[in-house]
Amino acid sequence: MDGGFVIETRDLRKMYGPHLALDDVDVQIPQGAIGILGPNGAGKSTFFKCILGLITTTSGDGRVLGYDIKTEGDLIRSRIGYMPEYDSLDPDLNAIDQVRYAGELLGMSPSAAMQRAHEVLEYVGLRDQRYRKIESFSTGMKQATKLACAIVHDPEILICDEPTNGLDQRSREFMLKTLRRTVDEGGGTVLMSSHVMDDVQEVCDRVVMIHQGNIVVNRPISDLANQIEKEVEAVIWGGATKMEEALISHGLKVRRMGRVMRVTIEDENTIEQIISIAAKSEVQIRELREYEPDLEDIFLLIMDKLGARVKGTSELMTSEHTGGDRSV
Amino acid sequence: MFDEDEIVDDSLEPETVQTASKNEVDSELGQTRMEVAYGAGDGDDDAKAVVARKASMGVLYEQIYRPWNGQLGPRWVRNYAIFRHHVYGIFSSKGHRHYNPFVRLSILVIFLTSLTPIAMIFLSVTISGGEGSDWLNRMWGVNRYNLWGQVLGYFPRNLCMWPLLTALVVGGMISDDRKNGTSAIYFSRPVTRTDYTAMKYLSSAVVLGFVIVFSYMLYYTSAIVFNGEGWAYLIDTLPMFLGGLLAGILLVITYTSIGMALSSVSQSRFFAAIGFLAIIFGTKIVALMIELIFETTIFYILSPYDSLAHLGQWLIGIPANYEHSLALSIISVIIYNAASVGLLITRVRSLEVTRE
Repeated sequence: MDGGFVIETRDLRKMYGPHLALDDVDVQIPQGAIGILGPNGAGKSTFFKCILGLITTTSGDGRVLGYDIKTEGDLIRSRIGYMPEYDSLDPDLNAIDQVRYAGELLGMSPSAAMQRAHEVLEYVGLRDQRYRKIESFSTGMKQATKLACAIVHDPEILICDEPTNGLDQRSREFMLKTLRRTVDEGGGTVLMSSHVMDDVQEVCDRVVMIHQGNIVVNRPISDLANQIEKEVEAVIWGGATKMEEALISHGLKVRRMGRVMRVTIEDENTIEQIISIAAKSEVQIRELREYEPDLEDIFLLIMDKLGARVKGTSELMTSEHTGGDRSV
Repeated sequence: MFDEDEIVDDSLEPETVQTASKNEVDSELGQTRMEVAYGAGDGDDDAKAVVARKASMGVLYEQIYRPWNGQLGPRWVRNYAIFRHHVYGIFSSKGHRHYNPFVRLSILVIFLTSLTPIAMIFLSVTISGGEGSDWLNRMWGVNRYNLWGQVLGYFPRNLCMWPLLTALVVGGMISDDRKNGTSAIYFSRPVTRTDYTAMKYLSSAVVLGFVIVFSYMLYYTSAIVFNGEGWAYLIDTLPMFLGGLLAGILLVITYTSIGMALSSVSQSRFFAAIGFLAIIFGTKIVALMIELIFETTIFYILSPYDSLAHLGQWLIGIPANYEHSLALSIISVIIYNAASVGLLITRVRSLEVTRE
């Protein structure tokens, strides 16, 4: 690794015919828990495929754990664990056999793979279900099995594509706790792609945002929160549109979500100004408080600045993400 | 009953714990727990009562990340794992690829049926000397026609047994990976698409070879052993045996290629199986009808079975049933294999690791 970065790319470009999937990506990713964010079609999956050495890049260079992504893909993949977004398990196998086989495909001996399969299935909370067929598993158990397959060889980098897809609250918390523990106790790196910003915020220290094939952000989450302008949140009753227009006409920056308005604090008089405008507009302010931006706000603000019309991250989700009609 | 130490919460201050246990075990004070509890006896003011505290539920599951420092094996270890997973599944689905019990039973029945000539040779030896023995030997003993028939005979082998065997074994080889998304498990590991395809192909070919070629070899060996034949017999019959062996291997390769290609184009093992049977029987029927109407065998080059049968007749050295040139049948076999392998490679190249 050069300069302590586990992943480095320089001018990495990938084109599918005329479509530009990655546009001269320069990124340096240090060890730790990193969230990979971006709207659908931004280039996240292409980025993963490139760093796994699975597809040939159009131009540019990249190194993962010091290995060249163009020529040493097999060495990279033997040191990376990948947890796919979609179903990737054989429903006819028991969990233990699926994980053992995943280990054998990495080059582990059958006995070592079996030993390790027991360990990782216990780690992901499937100790008592390891001899059950995967077809009988809930979505949460399948996700845990995929995670077990990914960490069977104790990888240096774990790539998780939407790890909380379709999970209920309890399973989601367990999955996130497990990922965080994998970084803390395993000492490795987790690259986590998710549309659920709360999940990313809970696990990751840093985010990399991709938009239209470009890396638009690569910073620690704490830095990003400090960069965002402070806002005050007001819950309006009896004329939200009137209030919004009045605030804008007084030169204030407003983000409106129904009856909730987030107004950028320009100076110490902003709050008084809001109250005064509300009084003049004859609307009620039911609540008024300082607003702490979370990762979702940061994401939406950045996407808004980049011209991507995303009102909320829920817009980016399909029934696959939410679990559809399936009960867990 | 609970032991007192178990009931005491970990959060108890050390001093309190000491007092409690001292009261229980220290006989110097001459106190019992009851005395302490009810304030009886001397030193009552200094004593501390042992009171019930909320018991800890205990920890049944403790999540600990265990590192692994083992060495990963080289390429052949990974490839052998793929091979083993698919081949061992035929014998025991426990821990390996799952083959439906019906599929395994069918393979067993086909294998045992392909061994029936051995039983007939054994019978002819047992009743040696009579007319029946000669008839049995002519019908099932080793000769050019029987060697050809053991692999390439149409009924029952190429009508009922080999195509069904291929359809059952090869049907889900790649289509199951497409359907279940398990290709991601392969391609996110240091398994190349070439290795993946080659190992799946080899696994299928070995299973087919075990039934088709191994039964052929067993048939020839049994004839020598049961009849007590010597070196002269071996030298006489070995060339035609090797011709049949080569024809058997070509049959396995061609059927595997077509079956694997069909398996790679869909997500349904049923489609691959039915598609394979349709190609084998459909081309044969079309060619047969054209022969009956127009009295030409040229259209048999469309049929993989007939092209192989024609080639096999030449390899073993028996008169051909077909009027058209052998070269056309050879070209047909080559084209079928090349087209199937080409399709297989193209389709495997399109298998995704991120989503399918």
